[in-house]
Amino acid sequence: MGDREERLVDEARSEEQFARLRDDPGARDELVRLHYPLVEYLARRFAGRGEPVEDLVQVASIGLLKAIDRFDPERGVKFSTYATPTIIGEVKRHFRDKGWAMRVPRRLQEIGLHLSRVVAEMYQELGRSPTVLEMAERAGLSEEDVLEGMDAIHAHSIGSLDAPTDDEGQTTASRLGAEDETFELLEGMASLQPHLEKLPERERSILYLRFFRGLTQSQISERLGISQMHVSRILSRTLRTLREAVGASEG
Amino acid sequence: MSDVSVKVPARPDVVHVLRSVIASVAARAEFTYDEIDDLRLAVDEACAQLLSLDGGAGLTMIVRDLETGGIEVLISIDAEAAAWPPLGVEHTLGWQVFSALADEARFELVEGHPAVRLTKRRVPAGTI
Repeated sequence: MGDREERLVDEARSEEQFARLRDDPGARDELVRLHYPLVEYLARRFAGRGEPVEDLVQVASIGLLKAIDRFDPERGVKFSTYATPTIIGEVKRHFRDKGWAMRVPRRLQEIGLHLSRVVAEMYQELGRSPTVLEMAERAGLSEEDVLEGMDAIHAHSIGSLDAPTDDEGQTTASRLGAEDETFELLEGMASLQPHLEKLPERERSILYLRFFRGLTQSQISERLGISQMHVSRILSRTLRTLREAVGASEG
Repeated sequence: MSDVSVKVPARPDVVHVLRSVIASVAARAEFTYDEIDDLRLAVDEACAQLLSLDGGAGLTMIVRDLETGGIEVLISIDAEAAAWPPLGVEHTLGWQVFSALADEARFELVEGHPAVRLTKRRVPAGTI
């Protein structure tokens, strides 16, 4: 707990309110009011990662309420010290639940988005997927930056990459129908069938094209009119979903 | 480049470290973006399978350049070898995934520990 967080809270007043808490429900509101600056301060540390600050403050307030309810003044720890990790934990969980990239700084997100376009362009020009060195040269970045940008892309959803455009939605929907008919599972994989059926149509088709038909990610990207990086993320997400589903039904 | 070897705790939340390492090594070995992604997915799958075993404390990944052009990835876990290789493994989605992503995949025991060995050859740029 840093000095900065401590200065945000009137500790003496906070202790007073906790002493009143058992008999006086109003003390809880007063505690929320007292610690609001701490909530705001902690929420703002997560600003600029794609979520409005007001939403983050809301979520952080939930963390504060949990901390108030669980806090035991007898244990001799200052409330603000106790509450800080609970509040941060609540905000982090919010990001996780939304699938947002928690630790991806904005700069890397931007690099990631830029690379996504570079990959598509170069695939068109070269007729194959580019190497990292080729991407670095084209984008005017170091190979390190390209690799970090790739990591950023994989660290979960980055806004516009995951949001299909209207155009994209149409092309995929209209092209995929035929693929589905031909999805034949190998012998012995019948237990997978119910889980595959639960997948969204696009996820199932991409899985099929990559792992059963042997198309490369770039070929799938071209065929479906979505970015290669989007294909990549759908593949890893879908495999994870299936592993969890199969694991759960067997265990 | 000589062999790269990394050891991480046997936990799903640190597998991303191995994914980043394989991407970095493959990039320097001049694999294409598609192939690098294939390797990341393959490492993910191998780790998931190894982590399903009980009693492992650490996951080790060794990446080796092949003289013939390409790399070999050996991932092992210091867990009980009793259920390895998994029964009927060639009829699983995991096997299908390996077949699509790597040129060769083998389930083996390395010094008594369950391991997955993957080989991916590089198609020299310009020949496709």
